[in-house]
Amino acid sequence: MMNYIWGFMLLLGIFFAVLNGSASEFTDGLMSSCTEAVEFILTLAGIMAVWSGLMRIAEESGLIEKISHTVRPLMKYLFPHEKNDRTIAMMIMSFMANIFGAGNSATIFSLRAMELLDAENGHSRYASNAMCMFISLTMSMIQLVPVTVIKIRSDLGSASPEDIIIPSIIAGFVSMIVSVWICKLFERKNPDV
Amino acid sequence: MSEILGTFSILFLPILITIILVYGIIKKTPIYDVFIEGAREGLRTCADILPFIIGIFIAIESLTSSGAMDFIEKTSKPVFDFLGIPEDLISLIFLRPVSGSGSLVVAEKIMHEVGPDSFAGRAAGVMVGSCETIFYVLALYFGVTSVKKMRHAFIAGLAGYIAGIFASVYICRIM
Repeated sequence: MMNYIWGFMLLLGIFFAVLNGSASEFTDGLMSSCTEAVEFILTLAGIMAVWSGLMRIAEESGLIEKISHTVRPLMKYLFPHEKNDRTIAMMIMSFMANIFGAGNSATIFSLRAMELLDAENGHSRYASNAMCMFISLTMSMIQLVPVTVIKIRSDLGSASPEDIIIPSIIAGFVSMIVSVWICKLFERKNPDV
Repeated sequence: MSEILGTFSILFLPILITIILVYGIIKKTPIYDVFIEGAREGLRTCADILPFIIGIFIAIESLTSSGAMDFIEKTSKPVFDFLGIPEDLISLIFLRPVSGSGSLVVAEKIMHEVGPDSFAGRAAGVMVGSCETIFYVLALYFGVTSVKKMRHAFIAGLAGYIAGIFASVYICRIM
């Protein structure tokens, strides 16, 4: 899937760059975006190291296990086959970090959770139901306070910058319900993967 | 209400870190040694995902700097008119799934042009607040796994995104 999407994006870009006569801007953009990607990883690396370190403490001390046992009943509906404490805890951490708007930390928890799910899936070429459900949930997880947007709105002189909070939460919920519903539809067809 | 939520958000990480450290100390875990070990693992993950990030970044740049994005926006305008979605939002709707920082810049531009409290301005804010960068997330998250076929993750994410877009626009219309 990714092969086609990625190839299509690049080729479409080249086609339009030649068509619009903007080939040189296109090349410059492409080159500078590689640098941006590396810079982005560098900004992420520090946070990544800190959270991986802290999560490791939580694992060794048994905190992860404790959290996982507390939330297990809640996760039962979404991940019926999930039994691994680490995975459950990591997913919960990712959801919480998303809800509280800790963007980069959320990414790190999610990546760890995906690695664990991948191991449980036997490093298969096909995504498991749990992976699809988890990724759909993180993609549509609501954020209690979209801080950045509120900041932009207040900078631009909005009368009440926080007015978007409730609509955002409702829209987020709509999006989440649709995602989960579709995942469940597919799961019914292939319940054991 | 929003102040309480805001305080929660600000305090979430400090509280979480405190719990992890205190619990570790109580259970007599060698917290510093374990931290270093975990941090090393984290940096390795960073190196692992770098190729994926570069791949995503150049693909997105290819669409935006070549003018392909502008073309897609222009040709799809009638569809958005028909659905009652303001034309100012089209670029945001297309950019949001692929780029978090890029879509934030576009959202700011929209709010600046039409005013943050106008219908389109609010809808832009709600969209950024509720719709995720789905293609980016898919590429990155599956990047750390051995998965080649993402099965229904793609369609579920896309459907959720589209539902979120419509919800953002229609909620802003009635609220």
